[in-house]
Amino acid sequence: MPRQISDGDAPLSSPVGPRQPVWDLPVRLVHWLLPCLIAFSWWSVHNHHTDWHIWSGCAILTLLIFRLLWGFVGSSTARFFNFVRGPRAVADYLRGRWRGIGHTPLGALSVLALLCALAVQVGLGLISEDEDGLYTGPLYRLVSVDTSDWARDLHEFWFNVILGLIVLHIAAIIFYRVRGRKLTKPMITGHAVLEPGVQPMRPGKWWAALICLAIGIGVTRWIIAGAPPFSS
Amino acid sequence: MRIVSIAIASLAMVAGVAAGAAATKVTGAKAAQVMHERHEGMETIGKAFKALHREFDASSPFVPTVRSSAAQIANLSKSASGWFPAGTGPDVGKTGAKPEIWQNPQDFAAKLSAFQKAAQVFNAAASGNDMAAAKARYADLGGTCKACHDKYRTEMHH
Repeated sequence: MPRQISDGDAPLSSPVGPRQPVWDLPVRLVHWLLPCLIAFSWWSVHNHHTDWHIWSGCAILTLLIFRLLWGFVGSSTARFFNFVRGPRAVADYLRGRWRGIGHTPLGALSVLALLCALAVQVGLGLISEDEDGLYTGPLYRLVSVDTSDWARDLHEFWFNVILGLIVLHIAAIIFYRVRGRKLTKPMITGHAVLEPGVQPMRPGKWWAALICLAIGIGVTRWIIAGAPPFSS
Repeated sequence: MRIVSIAIASLAMVAGVAAGAAATKVTGAKAAQVMHERHEGMETIGKAFKALHREFDASSPFVPTVRSSAAQIANLSKSASGWFPAGTGPDVGKTGAKPEIWQNPQDFAAKLSAFQKAAQVFNAAASGNDMAAAKARYADLGGTCKACHDKYRTEMHH
């Protein structure tokens, strides 16, 4: 098998052939909303708008819950079972023996790392309080004052971990771009030109997306309410 | 006549405020001691405020905690008058206090005084039995913390 078939994450974008779906709308929306909300979270907390920062974190929580669920019932490229692979698949990919659309076995690790790092960050934020005792994450009452303070310090530090993963992510996009593969445009339009023989994305059901979103919003609202009955 | 007396009173106030913030410049070990005391005092106030936040978020606040925390903040707020002499800024040592404190002594003194007043008012309310009223005064007090910290405290201070 020629090496150039399998040297990138996601869709091939050669100038010939029909454009086929590779990323569905929910995946793209979640993808682009995350950097917006992360940037807003950073800006608001550094500009005395801790209340906005907390709302932004709750929005990220909703997106994470949605993406987790969509990873089980969404389109073929959204599903974790289709793209999270073992070390052998990663090794095969690095040797050039992988072809397909969606996240590559290596890219899957990046996706998981980013989602997990964000989940940790949100979890720490939920139990944090600011150092003046003016603002609190919705679940701060589940832990002691000392734990809340500790969580805030770690929350502050953990942002650097997220930044590091974002830098790695962007560096990978640039690396592929230099090698002739444009990954950004398909993540915007959802479409790309595929290699012959590669199956395009199978879409998910729109009503399944709505159910996932409703669950995400419902769970977030429950957490904003202090996760009754656990925090009395 | 009345205008003159108001003017004299205003001048005296300005002079007094300026004296409070900057009159006696401290140096060396004295400066280090004041900065340490300030840091510890602010941290204790913060801890008391966090305890209050938990109580007032509860369905029924534990009154003894509310009262002891309110008294603690009210007492420390009085000491705060001596926490910001000239010579205790970030050029001297590690502190979250911004140089603007000593560039706008009148505004800073007004904010400090608003905090001290709110602490006394809240303490008085907490010693009563109307915890809803105390909670409202507690929120006012939090507003005075934020008003000053937003303007005069850096983020890198712990």
